[in-house]
Amino acid sequence: MYKLFNPDNIKLTKYLFFTGKGGVGKTSSACATAITLADQGKKVLLVSTDPASNLQDVFGISLTSKGTPIQEVPNLVVANLNPEEAAKAYKESVIAPYKGKLPASVLQNMEEQLSGSCTVEIAAFNEFSNFITDEKTQIEYDHILFDTAPTGHTLRMLQLPSAWSNFISESTHGASCLGQLSGLESKKEVYKNAVSTLADGKLTTLILISRPEYSPLQEAERASRELKELGVHNQLLVVNGVLELDIENDQIADKLYAKQQEALRNIPESLRETPTYKIPLRAYNITGIKNIRMLLKEDYLESQNYKLNKEELPKVKALIEDLYASKKRVIFTMGKGGVGKTTLAAAIAIGLAEKGVKVHLTTTDPADHLKFVVEEGHGIRLSKIDEKDELRNYTETVLAKARETMAEEDIAYVEEDLRSPCTQEIAVFRAFAEIVDNADDEIVVIDTAPTGHTLLLLDATQSYHKEIQKSQGDIPQAVKNLLPRLRDEKETEVVIVTLPEATPVYEAMRLQEDLKRAGINNKWWVINSSLLMTNTQSPLLKTKSLNEIPWINKVDEISQGNFAIIPWKGEEIKGEKLVDLIR
Amino acid sequence: MSKIEIFDPAMCCATGICGPGIDQELLRVATTVNTLTKKGVTIIRYGLSSEPQAFVDNKKVNEYLMKEEVEVLPITIVDGEVVKTRSYPTADEFAQWSGVSKDEIAAAAAEKENGCGCDEGGCC
Repeated sequence: MYKLFNPDNIKLTKYLFFTGKGGVGKTSSACATAITLADQGKKVLLVSTDPASNLQDVFGISLTSKGTPIQEVPNLVVANLNPEEAAKAYKESVIAPYKGKLPASVLQNMEEQLSGSCTVEIAAFNEFSNFITDEKTQIEYDHILFDTAPTGHTLRMLQLPSAWSNFISESTHGASCLGQLSGLESKKEVYKNAVSTLADGKLTTLILISRPEYSPLQEAERASRELKELGVHNQLLVVNGVLELDIENDQIADKLYAKQQEALRNIPESLRETPTYKIPLRAYNITGIKNIRMLLKEDYLESQNYKLNKEELPKVKALIEDLYASKKRVIFTMGKGGVGKTTLAAAIAIGLAEKGVKVHLTTTDPADHLKFVVEEGHGIRLSKIDEKDELRNYTETVLAKARETMAEEDIAYVEEDLRSPCTQEIAVFRAFAEIVDNADDEIVVIDTAPTGHTLLLLDATQSYHKEIQKSQGDIPQAVKNLLPRLRDEKETEVVIVTLPEATPVYEAMRLQEDLKRAGINNKWWVINSSLLMTNTQSPLLKTKSLNEIPWINKVDEISQGNFAIIPWKGEEIKGEKLVDLIR
Repeated sequence: MSKIEIFDPAMCCATGICGPGIDQELLRVATTVNTLTKKGVTIIRYGLSSEPQAFVDNKKVNEYLMKEEVEVLPITIVDGEVVKTRSYPTADEFAQWSGVSKDEIAAAAAEKENGCGCDEGGCC
């Protein structure tokens, strides 16, 4: 029904932005497009802005923010923007001139303040807009591709310049949140250009990547709409992983096919106007240059004689039993977007509720689809943390407090400071703390947002923690309690969710490292959507399923056997089907 | 009229709203500074993270920092002389050093010009 996505037949603009829910194949599609264009003889620059970049896995070499030429693909240069590192470099450049001129405690005080999320975001956007507006880069390359971060993050980044340049031009007090980033004002033109380039349909295309599944398509629609609101109208939709039947009467293949086709028939209304292409489902893993190069061309069946380390693979039931027996109070399901954190969080909630425990199931995922998955009742309470709502609530709280001592005119001044991006982080953080604080009379199960976002949240928790020991501000008890609580392994468990594929497993490993650094405990891993656990006879799916084995073994090893596996399910897992999952 | 300078410790923003909690003290100082500026008083705030150079260039501030470390902030200077360290001026001190009476500061704060200063539909 859709044409194949093949850059050989589509005229593409100079700037291409790939966006979509995590795990839909943004990285693969961006890489494949970049390689295809480079193979045509075009000069191509591929830039990753994903805080948890996948590009290194795909190309199998370490990358830098300046750009690394790829040996096997002449004409292709790949750059990886790590916002955290950019922030670190920025911090260093601010502090270095004062070493020796100011005492160490003073420098430390400066450094602490420059560790905020403002700095990370500014530094990231700064690098990002340099690529868009740098004249040399413009001349040097025919195409510049951005493999962007998960949608929420992308949108925030895109929202920055307009929001912030308003802030800068309106600001009369100087000493605001942005004031700490000296030199920002001088970048105003660069940011303005970056934004106008984004909104220029002749120069820029937004490529929405989705899977032929319900949630990712909804997410694509959301991203499409939000970006249109930001003035980005030139959009393409690419549906990745569309199954072409290669066998008759295979239950699994038929189910997958039917499920995909149904999702595509019910594609959200506003996406129907968008030119749409497909990338077929491939049997091979999308890593290594050979496979990436093939992605937009053809399939081949390839598998080695892999052997499972364990004969009997454990189920989710074992995980729930352990969480119950060890009396955990705060349970997170963490992982890259699209791996099934929501489903697992819901299954854990139901499993614990069945044992007579009061459960509070909550989501910080901006895409919030928890309510589609589980119904409230039977000992389960549902809630969500909505960034926009939290920001509004926090703003109102602050203003109410300010009104006690200040005149209306000065409140306008406070309002201005409340427009800063720091405020949003703090607002979300406070809501998060309050929910965890309630874990005294109920078990809290939190379905967190995609990896990058989650880490920022946790990171904020940590630097917060350092800051609140010094600050004299009015800090809610819940906020003070949060980090010690998260670090207490008797109370808290982080369940890492992944898929039996290369990139999701690597991602999850990095996530575990970051958790360790933050002093947060992880014992359990869950592998979701395993085709190996089904009995498909489709050559394509069977080959694909055998390629899962090394990744299952890897998780077995990392988790020291504390893992559970969930078979691929033909249906959207909700309601009754969730109960099946925990049997 | 006297010139007042305040050397702030590093913080997210002048009102402290970007910090982990709401700090009434910082709100008070920000408001007073704002009011005095409108009254024509020369009052300048230097943030450690935004203008570190000022903390090097001002010899007196630099001496205090070198001797008493970061805890000595905030430092208030009136006409070149350090008048207060380790905390912000009180309302009385602000009045005394600026020459604007306490009542006037309070009255100015209560006064409303051009509505509430909001531009987006209605009042705050």
